Amino acid sequence: MSDPLPERFTVSRREFVAGLTALGAVWLAACGGEQGKAAAPDSSAAMPGMAADTQAPPQKLVHFSPEDAAEVEAMTVRIIPSDDGPGAKEAGAVFFIDNQLAGMVKEQAPLFADGLKTVAKAVTAKHGASAKFSTLTAEQQDEVLRGIEKTEFFGALRFATIAGFLALPKYGGNKNYIGWAYMKQAHAFEQKPPFGYYDLPANQQALLGRVL
Amino acid sequence: MRRQTQPAAGKTFANETAVDFVIIGSGIAGGSMARELTSRGFDVLVLEQGRHVPPEDMEHDELGAFMNNRWTNKPEDSPQTWRKTPDAKTEKRHFLQYARVVGGTTLHFTGNYWRFRPIDFNEASVRGPVPGANVADWPITYDELEPYYTAVEEAMGISGETPTDPREPKRSKPFPLPPLNVTGPGVLLEIGSKKLGWNSKAAPMAILSQPYKGRQACHNCGFCLAFPCEWGAKSGSNWSMIPDALRSGRCEVRSDSYVHRIETDDSGRVTGVLYFDKDKKEQRQKAKAVVLSANGAETPRLLLMSASKQFPQGLANSSGMVGKHLMFNGNTVADGLFEHEVNGHKGPVVTRITQEHYIPDPSLGFFGGGGIDMRVDVPAMLRTVAMPPDGPEWGAAWKARAQQWFSHSAAAYGHTSSLPVATNAVSLDPELKDAWGMPAIRTTFKEHEHDMRLYKFMQDRTMELLQAAGATKTYAQPITDVPGSAVHLLGTARMGNDPKSSVVDKYHRAHDVKNLFIVDGSSFVTSGRGQPTMTIQALAFRAADYIAQFATKGEI
Repeated sequence: MSDPLPERFTVSRREFVAGLTALGAVWLAACGGEQGKAAAPDSSAAMPGMAADTQAPPQKLVHFSPEDAAEVEAMTVRIIPSDDGPGAKEAGAVFFIDNQLAGMVKEQAPLFADGLKTVAKAVTAKHGASAKFSTLTAEQQDEVLRGIEKTEFFGALRFATIAGFLALPKYGGNKNYIGWAYMKQAHAFEQKPPFGYYDLPANQQALLGRVL
Repeated sequence: MRRQTQPAAGKTFANETAVDFVIIGSGIAGGSMARELTSRGFDVLVLEQGRHVPPEDMEHDELGAFMNNRWTNKPEDSPQTWRKTPDAKTEKRHFLQYARVVGGTTLHFTGNYWRFRPIDFNEASVRGPVPGANVADWPITYDELEPYYTAVEEAMGISGETPTDPREPKRSKPFPLPPLNVTGPGVLLEIGSKKLGWNSKAAPMAILSQPYKGRQACHNCGFCLAFPCEWGAKSGSNWSMIPDALRSGRCEVRSDSYVHRIETDDSGRVTGVLYFDKDKKEQRQKAKAVVLSANGAETPRLLLMSASKQFPQGLANSSGMVGKHLMFNGNTVADGLFEHEVNGHKGPVVTRITQEHYIPDPSLGFFGGGGIDMRVDVPAMLRTVAMPPDGPEWGAAWKARAQQWFSHSAAAYGHTSSLPVATNAVSLDPELKDAWGMPAIRTTFKEHEHDMRLYKFMQDRTMELLQAAGATKTYAQPITDVPGSAVHLLGTARMGNDPKSSVVDKYHRAHDVKNLFIVDGSSFVTSGRGQPTMTIQALAFRAADYIAQFATKGEI
């Protein structure tokens, strides 16, 4: 086993687990299907003026060419679509990936370059020499991605897209904390209970027979 | 509302001044030693490898905290190797983790503050030997440590409730602060425990439930485990012990100071330390005595790196025990999905625990036991990037599932003992060097077979608990015989009465070196059951009490 960190963008649950089991709950493998429904609105209030987070940079490309960025963005949109709420596109996940490949995970740049070539090959083989991933229909795009979903590149792209949706805006994605808002994670330095169903005083009383 | 501010730096000592005590490390042990020794009138210089983290640097930075070692030791400049057994091939692996900052790992810990119980000090004689493990009784008892547990609770402002479980040992005082507000996972733990007939209680936590000694109460921001507390409500060494020590006017905390050698003279006494400053320039600091509180990995490493003609096996290592008996505490995880919103990512990570299985039935045939909490301890990115293996990994279905999983699930953790195995050890890698040219940590580690059975037992209990709490789906995470990484670093300079089988005596004085004291998780003889920090700190309070007396009587 090699160092988990230099490979952090290849996602892989293996490295993830290697780095994190003792700290948090992470899974060794994930595949299959189950769909849940969205949670109720968040009642916690952010404290204005309390933000300590570093300012987000302007979203502009520093690594990809505009053409490659369009392809990568189209892929991120299939990983986190904009259906019931903002997705990778609105978060600017491609800018996160672009930023990271130019800086913190430079070593992953060849993996992404090769991955783009692989995707381009698959697209032209099936849809003709002038076809691009970004110009296909959503169904066609999903089909291409299903064909590479076990590859190292897709693992890296998937992780980077999720991170681009949910990492701090200072890394280039999660524009205006849009990903946090979707997950109902408050950008707040102070929150007031109750936080959910079970800790509501009336529910605690009903569930535990405890007078509060 | 205002954020906590930190006190200005205290005193400044010259390198050539032999300070009463040079303390290596500013975590909970080093910080407590600094506070307790300065309060008794001694001058103290704390040398810390890592940087000072000011409140404005305490971002809610999930990527930085979990993926880029923002607070923790980094593989880029401090690589490590690991092998499963002494005869196995060594490979590069970032295995042992600790926060390399002022405050040590308590800068970003969860804040679980469990006392040990009497069994944790004498289980070897109660249960008898374990094949393949060097179990031994501690040279001190719960009763001897109890006044120091009480002093720690008072100094830190520990939140908790007086236990109702008659199996718990006596406490001389109630908790200074009431329990933290119970959150969703805590309520679920109580529901499940009640159904199963298990005792549960408000978790004893090193997080302020009310303002205390000039610090603010928890504001429920939710970024707790792996994050520093910008409010100063989480009572890490950086917010509690170090500021108290600085306010004494007798303490300097010198950050970015990486001690790589403890120096001795011809008579075998410690004379000072060599360290690399911020610019990697070597400095020599003189000391009348040294307290080594660098954690269960860096403490044995530094002793081994301080080998000399007089101490060829490493400093304080005539027993050959330095680095051996590395213990981590077992940590099993099971997840449950619930009908309603739990939202465990808000507020403190842990608010309620059950220690029903602290001492499992001895007929099960394994040593030790543990406790259980329920929690959501990571923010959205980590909680959703890897979910249980029965759902979609990307696309619209993943997105909806992730949103539901983040708000409607909780994990039940089993925190357990782990056995002291002689071959589980920290040693110096013979080839690999760090960015300062010093030998890298090499860890040898494989779980003992008894512990594997204990972990499975404890995980089965957590699955029962989740089901009793009403989980609609439950998932047990795999248990492996080598953890992914390790954060509780214990046992590598064990205490004991016999200099042939231990490194320090019951007052934490090195058997071999009169003016060297070793106080941190490395002193543990056995691991305790899951949460070591409270005991590390109580040991430090006790050690300081005795060491101050020795110093006053001229016995150092």
